[in-house]
Amino acid sequence: MRTATIQKSDLGKAIDLLVQADLRVIAPRLQPRLEEDGPDAIDVLTLVEVKSGENHQVGEGLLPLNGVKEFLFAKHEPLFAYEKRGKKIDIIPVHHEYPRTVIVGVRPCDAASIASLNAVFSDANAGFEDPFFTRRRERTTIVTYSCTAPDASCFCTSVDLAPDSSRGSDLHFTEIGGDLIHVEVLTEAGEAIANLLESLLEGEGDQQQREKAGAAVKEKLTRIRDAAPIKDWLDNLDNFDDEMWERLGEKCIGCGSCTFLCPTCHCFDIVDENKGSKGYRVKFWDSCQFDHFTLHASGHNPRDWQYKRYRNRFNCKFKIYPEKFEQQGCVGCGRCIRGCPVNLDITEYMAEVAAKAAG
Amino acid sequence: MTAPRPDETDIYLPRPATLIETESLTAHERFFRFEMDAGVELSYRPGQFLEISMPGFGECPISISSAPSAGGDRGFELVVRRVGNVTRALHGLEPGDRIGVRGPFGAPFPVEDALTGHDLLFICGGLGLVPLRSAINYVLNRRDDYGEVTVLLGARTPADRLFTRELYAWKLRDDLVLEETVDAADPSWGAHVGVITKLIPRLKLAPENTRALICGPPIMYRFVLKELEKQGMSAEHIYLSLERRMKCGVGKCGHCQINGLYTCRQGPVFKYADIAAVREAI
Repeated sequence: MRTATIQKSDLGKAIDLLVQADLRVIAPRLQPRLEEDGPDAIDVLTLVEVKSGENHQVGEGLLPLNGVKEFLFAKHEPLFAYEKRGKKIDIIPVHHEYPRTVIVGVRPCDAASIASLNAVFSDANAGFEDPFFTRRRERTTIVTYSCTAPDASCFCTSVDLAPDSSRGSDLHFTEIGGDLIHVEVLTEAGEAIANLLESLLEGEGDQQQREKAGAAVKEKLTRIRDAAPIKDWLDNLDNFDDEMWERLGEKCIGCGSCTFLCPTCHCFDIVDENKGSKGYRVKFWDSCQFDHFTLHASGHNPRDWQYKRYRNRFNCKFKIYPEKFEQQGCVGCGRCIRGCPVNLDITEYMAEVAAKAAG
Repeated sequence: MTAPRPDETDIYLPRPATLIETESLTAHERFFRFEMDAGVELSYRPGQFLEISMPGFGECPISISSAPSAGGDRGFELVVRRVGNVTRALHGLEPGDRIGVRGPFGAPFPVEDALTGHDLLFICGGLGLVPLRSAINYVLNRRDDYGEVTVLLGARTPADRLFTRELYAWKLRDDLVLEETVDAADPSWGAHVGVITKLIPRLKLAPENTRALICGPPIMYRFVLKELEKQGMSAEHIYLSLERRMKCGVGKCGHCQINGLYTCRQGPVFKYADIAAVREAI
C-alpha cells in the first residue's frame, strides 16, 4: 500500500483522466432525479455516469440519494428473452454489458455495504452465483471519500464504521485541510486507478494528518447508539414477542422505501414482462415490507401483519446478516431515516433494544 | 422451448420439457407428466421442488410428485392446483406443449439414510399428498428397506381426494396401512370424518422406531406436531415440508426466508428439531 496527495481542485481533471482511459465513471452530481424533469426540477445529489469532470460533486454534500447498490445489483434487468411460435418457445439469451467501471466519491458506509451484498450474491452463499452481480463487482473499482459533514441521520459509528472508514475501498480519499486530499492505495484495482492519476498525485501522504482529520469528523456525529447488545437481545427468542414490535409496526406503513434506499437490502422478484407472443423474464428489486412478498397462492401469509414484516427487517439487519453471512446488515448510512415518510427511526429502536438488553 | 445456450444467466435459465400426459384429478387440481428434452437429465429426490416456467406468465415453485426414476432419467410428475396466472396457464396445456424447468431445488426427505430401517408414518393433508407421494412410492419400490408403513390422508371432501386409483391400490396392499378422513363427508363416504389429528391416537405407534413425514396446509402442522409429541415422538424423528413463496430457488431473492433459514435451500423439508425454535416457521 502506498499513499500520496491530490489537490481537491484537480478532481475534475482526475475524472477526465479516468474517462479518457475508457472507463465508465460514476460520480455524485447535483441534478434533477430524471432528465425529463427539466431545468426547474429540484436538484438531488445522485450517483450518475459522468462523461467529463466538468460537472461533478465528488467530496461535496453528503450521501447521494442512490447508493452504489444499483450499479452492482440492477434495479431491473432482463434474465432472458422468450418468443412463442405455436408450440415452440425460444429462450433467447440477453446480452449484458459489463463495462469496466470506477465509482468515485463513494461514502464509507456505501463502500462497506458491498461485502454484505457480495455475501448474498456470490457462490459463497449456497454454491450458487448470481453472475450479474459478480461480473459487475469484478469490473468495478471503488474510490471512497471520507465524509466531512455527517448529518443528523448518520450513525455509522454505531455499527462499527466511521466517516473515514476504508472498508470495501480500493482507493481512499480524505481531506486533510486546505485544498489537499490524502490518498491511500488499498488494493491492486486501486493501484491501477492511482496509476492513471499519476500526473495529479504528489509525494507521500501524511498518515497522521489523515487520522486526525478523520477523528475530527467523527466528533460531529450526533446520533450515537450502542449496537453491540442488539444481537444478543435478538438471540433471545422470547424477545421475538416483545411489545416493542407491535408498537413499531403501528407506525410503519409498509411502503418499502427503507428497503429500496438501503445499501444492503437485496431482495428481488422475478416476473415475465410480456407483449404479445414475446417478452422478457426480468429480475427487479422487491421488498420484504410488502404483504405480497410472502403471500402464498393459497392466501396464507406467514408474515401477515406489518409489524412482523418490520421485525423481519430489523432481525435481518442485526441478527440474520451477521449470523448467516458473517457481514453487517446495517452500515449506518441513515437513508432509511431520511427517506421514511412517517419518520420511523431505526436508531430509536436500536437504542430501545440496547436499553432493554441492559435491563 | 429450444435449449438455451450455456450462458451467464445459468441459475435463472429454465431447461425445456414437454408435456406427455395430463389428467384432471379434481375440480381444481390436474396431474401432469413431463419429460425433459433428450440429453437433459433431471435427477431429483423425494421432497424436492422445481421452478416451473410458463413464458409470458411467469414461474412458480411446484413439488415433484413422482418417485425418482419413475419416469426414467428425464420424466417427472406434478400436481397443480389452479390458483394463479402460471397455474391457470399450466391447466391449459395439452400433450406436446412445452414448459421450462429450473431445479430440482431444496433439501429432500432423507429416504436414503435417516429413514431406512424405521417404521414410517406419512401424514398428508390435502395437497400435502403431492410431495409425499414421491416419498411413499420411493419407499414402496424398496419396501424391504423399511418397517411398518402407515399413510394418513386428509381431504376436505371425498371429491377433493387426489390419486384415487393409486389410493385404492395402496388400500389393497398388506404391507401398507392407509387411513383416510375428510372434513365433510357425502353419503358415499365410508371412512373417517374429522381432522387428521384424530387418526393419530388410533395407531399403534412404536414412537422410538417411527419416523414421521408431514405435509399439509399451514394450520395442520401445530396440531399434528402436538399429537405426535403426545404419542412420545421425538422432534428428531419428525420431518416436515414447509410451503413458502420460493422465487429464485437458489437462496438469493429472500422471498422464502424464515428468520435465518432459506426454505428453498435448508428446506422445504426440515427436521422438526431444527426448526422447533425458529419463529414464524410453523
